[in-house]
Amino acid sequence: MSPFRRWQAIPLSFRVPAIVALLMVVISAAISERVLDRLSHTQESYLDGLAGTYLDGLSSSVLPAVLRGDVWEVFDALDRSSFVYESLAPIETVVTNSDGRVLAASDPNKIKAYSELPVEYASRYGTEAVTIDEDRKTGFARRELIYQSQPIGAIHAAFDVSHLFAERREVLVTLLVTNAIVAGLFAFGGFLLVHRMIGPIRVLESHMRSAVHGAAEPISPDEIPPGDGEVASLFHGYNTLVHAERERANLAMQLAEEEKLSSLGRLASGMAHEINNPLGGLFNAIDTLKTHGQTPGVRDTSISLIERGLAGIRDVVEAALATYRPERSRRPLTADDFDDVRLLLKPELRRRRQQLEWDISWNGARELPVRGGPVRQAVLNLLLNAAAVTPEAGIVSLRAKDTGNSLTIEIGDQGSGIPPEIAGILVDRDPGPAVRAGRGLGLWMVRRVVDELGGTASIAPKNDGGTAVTLEIPFDREDAEADAA
Amino acid sequence: MVRGGSQGVRIGRLSRRDFSKLALASAVALALPRLARARDEPFKFGLTPVFLSNDLELLGHLRAYLSSRLGGAVELVSRRTYQEITALLVSGQVHAAWICGYPYVQYKADLDLTATPSWHGKPLYQSYLIAAAGRAVDGWSGLREDIHAFSDPDSNSGFLVTRALLAENRLRPDQFFSRSFFTYGHRNVIRAVASGLAQSGSVDGYVWEVMREIEPELVTRTMIVRKSEWLGFPPVASPKSLAGDPRIAALRDALVSMSDDAEGRKVLDMLRLDGFVVAPPELFDTIAAKVETVRQFG
Repeated sequence: MSPFRRWQAIPLSFRVPAIVALLMVVISAAISERVLDRLSHTQESYLDGLAGTYLDGLSSSVLPAVLRGDVWEVFDALDRSSFVYESLAPIETVVTNSDGRVLAASDPNKIKAYSELPVEYASRYGTEAVTIDEDRKTGFARRELIYQSQPIGAIHAAFDVSHLFAERREVLVTLLVTNAIVAGLFAFGGFLLVHRMIGPIRVLESHMRSAVHGAAEPISPDEIPPGDGEVASLFHGYNTLVHAERERANLAMQLAEEEKLSSLGRLASGMAHEINNPLGGLFNAIDTLKTHGQTPGVRDTSISLIERGLAGIRDVVEAALATYRPERSRRPLTADDFDDVRLLLKPELRRRRQQLEWDISWNGARELPVRGGPVRQAVLNLLLNAAAVTPEAGIVSLRAKDTGNSLTIEIGDQGSGIPPEIAGILVDRDPGPAVRAGRGLGLWMVRRVVDELGGTASIAPKNDGGTAVTLEIPFDREDAEADAA
Repeated sequence: MVRGGSQGVRIGRLSRRDFSKLALASAVALALPRLARARDEPFKFGLTPVFLSNDLELLGHLRAYLSSRLGGAVELVSRRTYQEITALLVSGQVHAAWICGYPYVQYKADLDLTATPSWHGKPLYQSYLIAAAGRAVDGWSGLREDIHAFSDPDSNSGFLVTRALLAENRLRPDQFFSRSFFTYGHRNVIRAVASGLAQSGSVDGYVWEVMREIEPELVTRTMIVRKSEWLGFPPVASPKSLAGDPRIAALRDALVSMSDDAEGRKVLDMLRLDGFVVAPPELFDTIAAKVETVRQFG
């Protein structure tokens, strides 16, 4: 999972406080940087001022002694000044004469009087009044001693500036601690606020979750916050949606029922034809038997006619029973199921003078591990639809193929194609919108069957005109395994 | 003068007794303004930096004591160098001064010894050659090529003694020492050596010993390399021109009897001295001999 998705997966009530805390950290980092920068400038100008005062005072006190080359007087001035300027914390001060030789240093044991000034002393100064060496926590300053416009020597001073760094560190720690506490408080406050703000959304969410599982319940008026107009409006909107959805579902069920009845009516009318057609022949045969029953040849022929006629009627009735008796729907698919469908479709085809191209590639097994009932239902519906859209005297086709893992059924027609919004019922991931439009309920029943069996449906135009609907029904593994066991 | 003249006109008519009374009265009248002037003008007492430090408390006690004993205001005059005090003393601008034996010997003809301090029962002290404590040095000759701190060019213990020692060995300070400088104070010599500014120094032995008690943390950073022979302690002297001034005698009495007075004892305690004695000028002959040694060597 990418970091962004992982972040999105964190609940909002934690994300918002985290963002608040992060913002506080960014703000405090910026503020801290400014404060420390300002402090650093203040400290440096303070140090510059102090060092300037120190060097001014020292200059005036050592100048006459430097003029005379009086080593003791210079040292005495340095020694006394170290107590006077304690706030500056001078570490070392060296006074040189015009030749650069040391007259006196505050620590004569380190730098001897009359010695050459060590080279590093000359190179340690920058452009600032006090040059700070952060590693050594020391500040360096130099002051030329000028008398009557002539340089007569110089003062080299080093100061302990560790207290400045300690002060900066102290301020930094204070800032960090304060900002951490403030950021923590803001984050906690943000958490509480967001938690409180999204409380109503949670109510909505729980209702929506239960709606996904089929029980869309309106939010009770007790749960609608009286003061929050936006949330109340949202909840009312949701409740309106739930009521509308319920009505639509009821309507859809009603329409589905009507469609079922309608197709049943067509089937029943077809069956009536199927039964009615042989009936004329049967009555003729009975009349012939009544009149010429004594004649052995005529009697046998008539009885045979009656027998075939009745057998035809029985087949039709059995096919109808097999299709519409739910307890029989779980049995595996057999070739008989397709024969039944053909039989049930026959009256409709005859009525419209249509032909049926029939191509079943069966591998010889008696039955396939696919539930027979739903497949019959789906195929019958699709064929009825195909017959409906195919012009009179046209051709309707059915091809079924056993691929080893699944059963592929293709139903072809010679119609003008299926409108996209109707086709959506069969092939879209969510058939809801098309179904809610209240159209193509036959296809919706097919879709339900396909979904139930874990299969897929596709629609494609045929090369020779018309449309082909293909169902891919996977073999039922559980059944297959159960059979194997 | 006009009044005196008119009194003189009447002399002939006065009796001898009257005249005697008048003469006494005149003498008193003439003497009074001088005494009054003397009482108005403070007694000026000079102090050289032989003193341990500018101890204001000590100076306060000394002034209080001398004022009470001299019966008038006393002004303590101090200067940075021996030379300045000596010049003030010899020129009579101060009535008396506590100076060093070396200037006394130099201006012996113009100065009288008033009193000499007594330390450990004698009016004597020594000059020390000192170096940083712990330094491995064997005698004064080990101080060759040092940066040396002298006290004052007019100081016996802080300059003359060392210079004479070198002269006796046919050496001058600039030949023996790499560098030398004056600190104008014995305490400063000790500070210079203790801090490392100078590797050795010439210092008043009395000052070094007393400071070892007062400021041990400073003095213990130094050690004695050589002690000189005993020499006359820096005396209190007055100009010969003021020999008749009763306050000089009063000063001598005050100094000699200092230990009898509570205020005086405070001063002596602070100075770690026994008292003052009247010593003969010959006490400083050893110093005079050193001056001569230096003079002869050039």
